[in-house]
Amino acid sequence: MSNEVEILLVDDSPEDAELTVRALRRNKLANVIQVAEDGAEALDFLFCRGAHKDRTFAHPPRLVLLDLKLPKVDGLGVLRAVRADERTKKIPIVILTSSKQQQDLIEGYNLGVSAYAQKPVDFQQFSETIRQIGMFWMLINQPPPPEVFAAGKAGGA
Amino acid sequence: MTSFSKTIAACALLIVVCIGALSFWSQIRNERDRQWVTHTLLVVEKLQAVRIDITQAETGQRGYMLTGQDRYLALYGAGVERVEQDLKELPDLIADNTVEREATQRLAPLIAERLAELHDGIEVRNQSGLLAGVEAVAHANNGEMWMGLIASQIAEMRRTEAMLLSRHLETAGASTRKMKLIIAFGNALAVFILLVKGLVIQKEIGRRNLAEQNLKHVNQMLEQKTVELSETNVEVESFAYSVAHDLRAPLRHIAGFSSVLIEDYGPRIDAEGQRCLKKIADGAQKMGHLVDDLLSLSKVGRQELLLEDTLLDPLLRQVVEELAPEYSGREIEWQIAGLSSAHCDPGLIKQVFVNLLSNAVKYTRRQQRAVIQVGETMQNGERVIFVKDNGAGFEMQYAGKLFGVFQRLHKTGDFEGTGVGLAIVQRIIRKHGGRIWAEAELDRGATFFFTLGVAERGPIRTTQVGAAHAITNDEVIHV
Repeated sequence: MSNEVEILLVDDSPEDAELTVRALRRNKLANVIQVAEDGAEALDFLFCRGAHKDRTFAHPPRLVLLDLKLPKVDGLGVLRAVRADERTKKIPIVILTSSKQQQDLIEGYNLGVSAYAQKPVDFQQFSETIRQIGMFWMLINQPPPPEVFAAGKAGGA
Repeated sequence: MTSFSKTIAACALLIVVCIGALSFWSQIRNERDRQWVTHTLLVVEKLQAVRIDITQAETGQRGYMLTGQDRYLALYGAGVERVEQDLKELPDLIADNTVEREATQRLAPLIAERLAELHDGIEVRNQSGLLAGVEAVAHANNGEMWMGLIASQIAEMRRTEAMLLSRHLETAGASTRKMKLIIAFGNALAVFILLVKGLVIQKEIGRRNLAEQNLKHVNQMLEQKTVELSETNVEVESFAYSVAHDLRAPLRHIAGFSSVLIEDYGPRIDAEGQRCLKKIADGAQKMGHLVDDLLSLSKVGRQELLLEDTLLDPLLRQVVEELAPEYSGREIEWQIAGLSSAHCDPGLIKQVFVNLLSNAVKYTRRQQRAVIQVGETMQNGERVIFVKDNGAGFEMQYAGKLFGVFQRLHKTGDFEGTGVGLAIVQRIIRKHGGRIWAEAELDRGATFFFTLGVAERGPIRTTQVGAAHAITNDEVIHV
């Protein structure tokens, strides 16, 4: 279990990824963090294909931190694909992005995002935001029971 | 239809009616003239009959005188009877003509004389026998004379009637010609007017077509402009989107990594190095605020107004509560008089109050006792809402710069800010069709006034003027 990816961080900016990972590690909120630099890579990971074909749907990440503006497939595209598939639709996904444009918020919630947070420019605020998100989703929130992910097909439809 | 064209139509109608009336009147006259002709012919015929009848009476009398046969006597009697009948009818026929009446009066005695003579002849024959009768006939020279007189009288009367007849014929012909002329002329005039009217209508149609074409053209241009505008809007939208995403990311990195540097390598950097790193982080942070404010300004510009009847008092209380972190630990006296409701976009007007009140909070920071007043008053029949503070104020000569983007009247060292807040406020007020202006005095506070213009044109409840607050018009600057 200790090698299972706990958080999938989807962000095309290595700087943002580094700062995010740093904030999570400082607060001891995740041991194994996987970074995907574009939407296609994130989908490969979540759907256990390509470079990640050895993974199984039975062990999804506990949280996906998803940026919106991404190369190849954008954040909303990733969200749409994940929510449309019974095997992945229950994975908690938090949009973490620079924008809080209304159309993104509306579309995000329409597609069933779990939460939506804006990345603050100020580093202290940024760290605090990441810490609170991590705290909630990794410690406070009760994740879906493992059974719904077992056998690669969810029961409740 | 133009008034000119209406006038033409009215003229045409009037003329047609006149022609109708004239033809009718003409027809009546014509008929009367024709009656006169008939009448004259009747008179002539009657005069002719008088002559024939007298001649018949005379022939009968002579026959009787010579033969003594009753058949001649009957012929005579019938002739006399008809002559008398003719003489009875004639005055009625010529009652209208004085000359003829006089002629008849002259004719009647002549006929009477002649008839009497004929009668006398019959008497002589009856009493004295054939020879006396023949004698009487042979010596009836007077009879020739009387007949000559009668014939000349009748001829004269016939001449008169012939004259009358020709006159009546002429009049009838003239009235017929006149009627023809009137009808021809009237019809020609009506046709002409209709032609003119047709031309006018054609011209109007031409004008209308031209106007329609122009309208179509303008509409096309408008459509094109709308397309261009929406394209521009899309461009602005995507520009704002890029700004929001791409401009903020490097700022976050500058701020983030300078903080990381301080956190991780702090002990190895001396105080000056630390100060520089802090400046870098502060600069990035400030630029982040600028980007955010610019985005809100652009968003306000593009946003559609969602107007609804809004209670301003609860809105204000909410704003004051939300601003609490900005004035924690300070003593501020809020004087918020009852504001009447407004027809406005509540979200945007809340933004106006947030910006104006947070400015008031900020610029009263150095006051021992800050007083911030919000109220409303009437000016020239228009409700004016004001936010007044007793803070730093500003010099009125710079008031024109207040609402410009990135324009600031205070040093950042004294009062922080990006210089976008009031630009946003002005944009919101203008979107509502209102005005905003300010009056102030350095170190003695500032007052911002605004109206809600178009949005307020609905029914306004009676406004209560806030706490005693004199506003003099001549101090006011319109921005």
